[in-house]
Amino acid sequence: MIELRGVSKIYNKGKFNEVVAVQDVNLKIEDGRIVVLTGPSGCGKTTLLSIMGLILTPTSGDILYDGEPVLGYSDYWKTIFRRENFGFVFQHINLLPQYTALENVLLPLYARDSDPSDFMERAVELLSKLGVIERANHLVEQLSGGEQQRVAFVRALIKDPKYLFADEPTVFVDEETSRIIYRLLQDLRDKGKTIVVSTHDPELIKIADQIHRMERGRLLQTK
Amino acid sequence: MIKKHKNLLRYSFDCLSRYRMRSAVIIVTFLIATTMVSAVLFTKEGLEKEAEISVRMAPDLTVQYLKAGRVAPIPLDYANTIAEVEGVKSVVPRIWGYAGISTYTFTVIGLDTSLIPYATFGSIESGRFLKPDDAGKGNIVIGKLIAGLLNVKVGDDIILLSESVEANKFHVVGLFSDASSIYTADMIVMSIQDARQFFRMPEGYVTDFAVYVEDYEQPANVATKMSFLPNVRILDQDLLLRGYKAAYGARGGIFVTLWTILLVGAALVAFSQAVVVGHESKFEVGLLKTFGFSTLDIIEVRLVESLVLGFFATSLGMVLGYIYAAYLNAPGLVDILLGWAFLPREFRLPVFVSWTSVFSIYAVTVIPLMITTVVPAWLNAITDPELAMRRAAA
Repeated sequence: MIELRGVSKIYNKGKFNEVVAVQDVNLKIEDGRIVVLTGPSGCGKTTLLSIMGLILTPTSGDILYDGEPVLGYSDYWKTIFRRENFGFVFQHINLLPQYTALENVLLPLYARDSDPSDFMERAVELLSKLGVIERANHLVEQLSGGEQQRVAFVRALIKDPKYLFADEPTVFVDEETSRIIYRLLQDLRDKGKTIVVSTHDPELIKIADQIHRMERGRLLQTK
Repeated sequence: MIKKHKNLLRYSFDCLSRYRMRSAVIIVTFLIATTMVSAVLFTKEGLEKEAEISVRMAPDLTVQYLKAGRVAPIPLDYANTIAEVEGVKSVVPRIWGYAGISTYTFTVIGLDTSLIPYATFGSIESGRFLKPDDAGKGNIVIGKLIAGLLNVKVGDDIILLSESVEANKFHVVGLFSDASSIYTADMIVMSIQDARQFFRMPEGYVTDFAVYVEDYEQPANVATKMSFLPNVRILDQDLLLRGYKAAYGARGGIFVTLWTILLVGAALVAFSQAVVVGHESKFEVGLLKTFGFSTLDIIEVRLVESLVLGFFATSLGMVLGYIYAAYLNAPGLVDILLGWAFLPREFRLPVFVSWTSVFSIYAVTVIPLMITTVVPAWLNAITDPELAMRRAAA
């Protein structure tokens, strides 16, 4: 379970260009759910997602995982926690262009004490499931936007994480890829994974268990 | 943990091959700088070694006469006074100076061959050294450099022009070996009688005395005992060595300093290159942190990258520096390094590689490179991954 208590994020605090990205957010997310953050661009969805994924430190507030406050822990502890529990899909996909699809998928495994090739079977399985197995050995630049997003999903899931954070995963992809992604997210939920997604996509919102609307950094309503 | 370090190592090597431009800029910059530093340092050490060999071949003491504070011919009868000083084994009068052939200037030494030990001038490569019966016969022994420049061998005759521009013919009877190239390279040895005639030195005078001391005596002690002699200057081997080292060492030192400054500049170029591709680097570091690479993992990756690049570029630079100095004779540097001596530029630079030089060169290249690549990576790694990626994208 993820719990946010009074979480705020203020960029350039106290300066002329101060920006309040997230303001006093309280939120509880049970395990095995698809949770959607929605709202207009710049409302703080990505920032909140990053804070939950422990890749951005909030200015104030606390985050609890399974009841354990984690912000006080060291950077190293948070890194290991991310490594073992989180998968990320970014709005801008963020694959490394010099690497092939398969190499990008295996990249998160380099920081673990195991041989990345041990995960080859899983990588092939996921790439096949998402319909990009034939593009496995192509460089990222040779893939379409939809294919890149599917590869990004495989990379996020390669370690079989407990939590998946996806930022606008369907915004740059075609309908077919979107459908594949909806199905994938539902499968993951069925396996007990927790998925937090920021999106405007009405189809994706339809499959959500929890929907939170944000505006100007605040959570306005919860469904 | 071994598998993880293997993974990180693999990732580092992957980065080197994938970010070719970054690797190439760092390698080329360091290659140029280390080639020059190595050439200067190896040559400087070679010259110093040569100087040491040369000094070992010099007499224990050299006694010169001073007139109005300047070196002048010394009366021959001083030899008897010097010979009476306790600890002096032998006193060899010498007449020496410089002679020109074509555009080159060579050192001409005339000595009493019956008095000087043969080994003093090093070994003979071909022919023979002077014998007592060579006195006044115009026989000479020459250095290899002269033989090469004038294309002469044992048995040939050469013409030397005296100060009064008179042509003097000499017969080559021997050739010095390479063993002490800097000492004998430009040297012409003849009998003191021939030298007296060549330099028009007045009877009863010589240029200086080569003094050899008894085995049980320290040259410095004997020099002290000679201090009663009026108007003389006594040079010992240490003084000669300091003179050599001051000349070559200082020149080399200046260049090494300049090139070290250039190396620091190169490190800054490497740093700026890291900043140029910084967007890529920052983004990559942010992404790796997101995946669970720790700050130490990222430092390890960058450290390996810089060590591989640094050692590769520096090692190659040293090899090229050696080739540049030893085989190409350091064009552009040779005149500056040898400017103090009368040696022509055709003189082959002596090159010597010591462990100290090798370690010094690695120290001034690899360490700055490590710092300039690891520090930015560390700064990125301690930033929130989301911020690092966002800044990279901005």
